[in-house]
Amino acid sequence: MRGRGFESTRILLLLAFFVLGLGGFALGDVGILSRANLTSMAVFAVEIGIVALGQTFVICGGEGGIDLSVGAIAALAQVFLGLMLVAHMPWPLAVAIALASGVAMGGVNALAITRFTIPPIIVTLATMFAFNGLALVFTGGINIDLTAMPPSFLALGQGSAFGLPVQLAVIYLPLLLLFAFLQHFGRFGRALYLAGTSELAARLAGIRTTELRGWTYVISGLLSSLAGVIGAARLGTARPDAAEQMNLVSIAIVVLGGTGIFGGDGSVIGTAVATAVIAVVDYGLSYNNINPIYQAGVMGIILITLVLVENMLRGRGGLRQVWSYWARAISRDPLQDS
Amino acid sequence: MPSDASAPLARPSGRVRSIFRHLPLPGEREGGLLATLVALSLLIAFGSHGAFFTPVNMDNLLVSAAITAIPAIGMTVVILTGGIDVSIGSMLGLVAAIGGLAFEAHWSLAAVVPIFCLAGAGLGLFNAALIIPGRVPPVIATLGTLSIFRMLVFLVTGSNWITEIPPSLTTIFIVTRIGPLPMASIIALLMLALAAFILARFRMGRHVYAIGNNEEAARLAGIRVRRIKLYAYVLLGLLTGIAALMTLGQSPMVQTSTGEGFELKVIAAVVLGGTELSGGRGTILGTLLGTLIVELVGDGVVLLHIQPFWSGVLLGAIILFSVGAAWRPARSV
Repeated sequence: MRGRGFESTRILLLLAFFVLGLGGFALGDVGILSRANLTSMAVFAVEIGIVALGQTFVICGGEGGIDLSVGAIAALAQVFLGLMLVAHMPWPLAVAIALASGVAMGGVNALAITRFTIPPIIVTLATMFAFNGLALVFTGGINIDLTAMPPSFLALGQGSAFGLPVQLAVIYLPLLLLFAFLQHFGRFGRALYLAGTSELAARLAGIRTTELRGWTYVISGLLSSLAGVIGAARLGTARPDAAEQMNLVSIAIVVLGGTGIFGGDGSVIGTAVATAVIAVVDYGLSYNNINPIYQAGVMGIILITLVLVENMLRGRGGLRQVWSYWARAISRDPLQDS
Repeated sequence: MPSDASAPLARPSGRVRSIFRHLPLPGEREGGLLATLVALSLLIAFGSHGAFFTPVNMDNLLVSAAITAIPAIGMTVVILTGGIDVSIGSMLGLVAAIGGLAFEAHWSLAAVVPIFCLAGAGLGLFNAALIIPGRVPPVIATLGTLSIFRMLVFLVTGSNWITEIPPSLTTIFIVTRIGPLPMASIIALLMLALAAFILARFRMGRHVYAIGNNEEAARLAGIRVRRIKLYAYVLLGLLTGIAALMTLGQSPMVQTSTGEGFELKVIAAVVLGGTELSGGRGTILGTLLGTLIVELVGDGVVLLHIQPFWSGVLLGAIILFSVGAAWRPARSV
């Protein structure tokens, strides 16, 4: 099952979900299909979609790869950007430095994970604390207003190109192509699949697996800071508490897109389609004025259900097992181990 | 850091490569933690001009340490089996909300206390059902329930605060004291001692370590792996329920945000205490010391008039440095 990469069945299934979801919300109120609403949906999807691309690589690398600090990196990079812009730095330079800070933050994760062999979940949990805390420290917990910044900067999140939002046409789609190419044809992506499938086989094949995995965190850091920059331009503000839900949602998207949590399979194409599905669900819920807390809850339900269904399809665990487990538990011999 | 703290447990090879290589061994780790704890206390005591050793501050510190330490016992067991549970912050909030509703309906304390325990254990059982028979990886399952439980807090409370918490909770857990310690701390200490004893001396405790070290071998040796893992998550839920009760004793109201970030504090305490996330290694004593350090950092930030935003940064840095201190060179094939 592993190392399969691109799964056309899953992608068709996800596309069906996308159409069904959109259709379902349209049944409630057809207004959601208006051009303005579809554009906002795409705009929302881009930021989380960019983060999910990096998360795909991190999880694909295996060995418990996970990046919980993506939201914190986005927030801190956004804060750096805001502070530099307020200090009248030319915006291209400020954006470049903000992205570099993302690389540096990803580098901290990578160093701690590869050189000090600390489990990824602990490292990124700790850096999530640290980067979120720093974002609050640098701003004193106050939002930085960027609405007076040059229109050319704000266009990064508000403008349009080729009839699509700028961030979709000029940033996300090219990035997606690049990552799909890297993953399916590039040396990096192929080596990463092998590392995620079998650490030992990859090493024996001469792949520097540790180094490879380290780079996935750097890439994830860069992409997270990019999402932070776009978010700042879109809302015209830099918020220290931006992107709080990003870690959960990006992991949900990656798993939804068919990347197994144990690494070694999946595709950024699947991730991209899953991003669209999540965007519809999320936008549809907020369009109907559902509390963001409930949106997160629904996301959690989707995430768990998906893994359960996937396990069931692959014949290990899953809903059927949960059911028979409890059926046995209430019958004669409770909790008998299999 | 006392390098000789582990003299009786020195490696048989006798080769001393670096002081850091010895830290993860039992005894040495705890020695280092104790030294950190003393150093932190002294730093805060001198830096705060006498505000540290006041009865009020000591009570606050001891009660919140108890509230963290009790679920940390369960978290230690879960992590020892090779799992993790990141949902307990929302779980604490949800249990507090359910119990709070019972208080609002004027149920007696004797009826509500079992509700806290049962609700906690039930939510732990829910996680266990996803993780053990459902084979959802623990991180994914509990990340999901983290937001599901939080959603349920909103649904259960209708986004309203619950303020009708009887003052008797405060009386029982905080005002009542034996010697210098409030009742909450006494309960926590008893539970810690019991857990340490069971983990070290009882068959089931040894099974927990065996599962974390090599699950397949443990299964082949006839250990009921799935059952013990299930118990671990249920225990954690139960202890989180008790912590929820104590939280209401500490501040008598339930908000929709009750318990937010609590999971991180507890995991930080356990990991700081030397329990390895891959499972099979760790002690309750380490968890106790880890808890005290985490609480001291929080207290110190307040007493030293550091901007409260720094507490997250400090905690993150302490986790990284403490786990990083156990650094061994990357293994090779």
